[in-house]
Amino acid sequence: MTLVFALAAATVFGVGAYLVLTNDLVRVVAGMVLISQSAVLVVIASGLTRGDAPILPTGDNEPSDALVQAMALTAIVIGLAVTALLLAIVARVRASLHSLEVRELARDEAEHTAEVEQAHEPQLERLDREEAEDEQ
Amino acid sequence: MTTLVLALLFPWVGGVLLLLADGRRRRNGWLAVVAVLGNLGALVALAIRVLPDGHETIVTGGWDGGVGIVLRADALGVVFALLSSFVVLAALVHEVLDGVRSRTFPALVVLLCTGLTGLFLTGDVFNFYVFFELAMISAYVLTAYGDDRHQLGAALVFAVVNLVGSFLFLIAVAAMYHVTGTLAMEQVAARMADVEPNAAILIAVTFFVAFGTKLGLFPFHFWLPAVYAGTRPAVAAILSGALANIGAYGLLRFGAGLLPGELELGSTVLIVIGSASVVYGALLAVSRRDPAEMLAYSAIGQAGYVLVALGVGGPVGLAAAVLYAILNALSKALLFLSGALRGALVAGAFAVGALSLAGMPPAAGFLGKLALFRTGVEEGSVALIVLLFCGGALAFVYAFQLYQHEFWRGRRVAPEEAAVASPLPVRAVSIVLALLVLALGLWPEPLLSLSNDAAAVLHGGPR
Repeated sequence: MTLVFALAAATVFGVGAYLVLTNDLVRVVAGMVLISQSAVLVVIASGLTRGDAPILPTGDNEPSDALVQAMALTAIVIGLAVTALLLAIVARVRASLHSLEVRELARDEAEHTAEVEQAHEPQLERLDREEAEDEQ
Repeated sequence: MTTLVLALLFPWVGGVLLLLADGRRRRNGWLAVVAVLGNLGALVALAIRVLPDGHETIVTGGWDGGVGIVLRADALGVVFALLSSFVVLAALVHEVLDGVRSRTFPALVVLLCTGLTGLFLTGDVFNFYVFFELAMISAYVLTAYGDDRHQLGAALVFAVVNLVGSFLFLIAVAAMYHVTGTLAMEQVAARMADVEPNAAILIAVTFFVAFGTKLGLFPFHFWLPAVYAGTRPAVAAILSGALANIGAYGLLRFGAGLLPGELELGSTVLIVIGSASVVYGALLAVSRRDPAEMLAYSAIGQAGYVLVALGVGGPVGLAAAVLYAILNALSKALLFLSGALRGALVAGAFAVGALSLAGMPPAAGFLGKLALFRTGVEEGSVALIVLLFCGGALAFVYAFQLYQHEFWRGRRVAPEEAAVASPLPVRAVSIVLALLVLALGLWPEPLLSLSNDAAAVLHGGPR
């Protein structure tokens, strides 16, 4: 059973990691959702006992571990909040860039950096010249 | 007992209420400052009772131990909580005086402070994760602060990379629960020694990757420069002065506190990765011209020192790691805050931060470098001492290269721009921070005993 859980969690994590590395921002978010689900799966799998629902155990069968279920619930809630936040950031990227591609985002950033550097360049050259004059 | 609860509840409730208000109004900004001040005050009261070697424990909800979540304040946690709260306060006051630009900024900073306080003062491994996420989620939103669209890409990368780190941490927590059957740190530490080595090493490595990502250590650093370079100075100060403490504290608490055997096993790896971080960060920092980017690479290098000290271990190494983490947080906050300002005395404040970063007396950073040299001597390794010296020398080069660029040449670039001095109250925050760094360097006794107390929690030996 542990092996099945481990394989399932590993597969989900792997698929999620693959999606995170794609070019489409929505897929990146979907990949994060999958990775968070694989973490939840590991939390559930780490339970010490398996059996009946832990609420009001009747004593016939061993109840399952309640603690991991509480942890999994908390992790799911946090995962939900984080997904909402990521989608909000992606929405803002789309609103300002009109694109959902990682490549586009990187290109925009590179252009911005180049612009900033170019804006500094003449000033720095002038400074170098002035300093050389000062030394003379 | 009530102080521990107050330290958490006061900023928590304050932060949630502030989310409803418009943070751009000055009054709401000051209310946020009051919330963080309340947190800091409660932490000081707590520190007075806990230090030097006591601890205070509460089980939430009045449950018996083993069922309820344990909040635990000991010297190590209190020291880090105080430090983070103080840095957050300085950055918040700086930004409120300078004019807040977004509705949610003050509330998010207060919530981030709550998350940090919670994770430093928890005795429960899973609760650590919950507070950790509270702090991180606030940080994800804060990195996009400033309404520059180029910052969005950096915020997205920051969020995605750190979320993968968070989920790895969660997986490690689950694994730890599975092999020890408990979430309370004290019990975990006691039972971890009997765990099968294979499982324990795997858990330790996962924790290391998770915290390495937060701290921005060498192989996990790639997200860091873009994020620090584009944000507002106050946010960069919070990220590097308060949030990065999670990584340092996590490595100390989970490495030296919960998994000491595995830490010893991996000490060589830690020292090698730490050294790589130091050299890589310093070399790249020297080659950068943009101040924020230079400081970002320097943050990677400084994180390496903490890891080296942790790798050496023992009472001397652990105390050095704590001391270095404290001093680095203070000098980084000072550099980020003062670097963007202009006007009388600001250059002096920046110079104090640069001296502290390079480890020159009389600034406090000297103590951290001295403690590191002591660990190097203790370890008896010439290579380590040479590395520490080179790292310090490079730090001196880039810190003063930056100083020269910003405050000497900067005046000539655009006289009309340089003539506009930042408002005096904003400058006062940086100057007060600089005076504190100087004072700690001139009268180091309290800080040294604090870091020794904190390290004693981990190795359990004499201080």
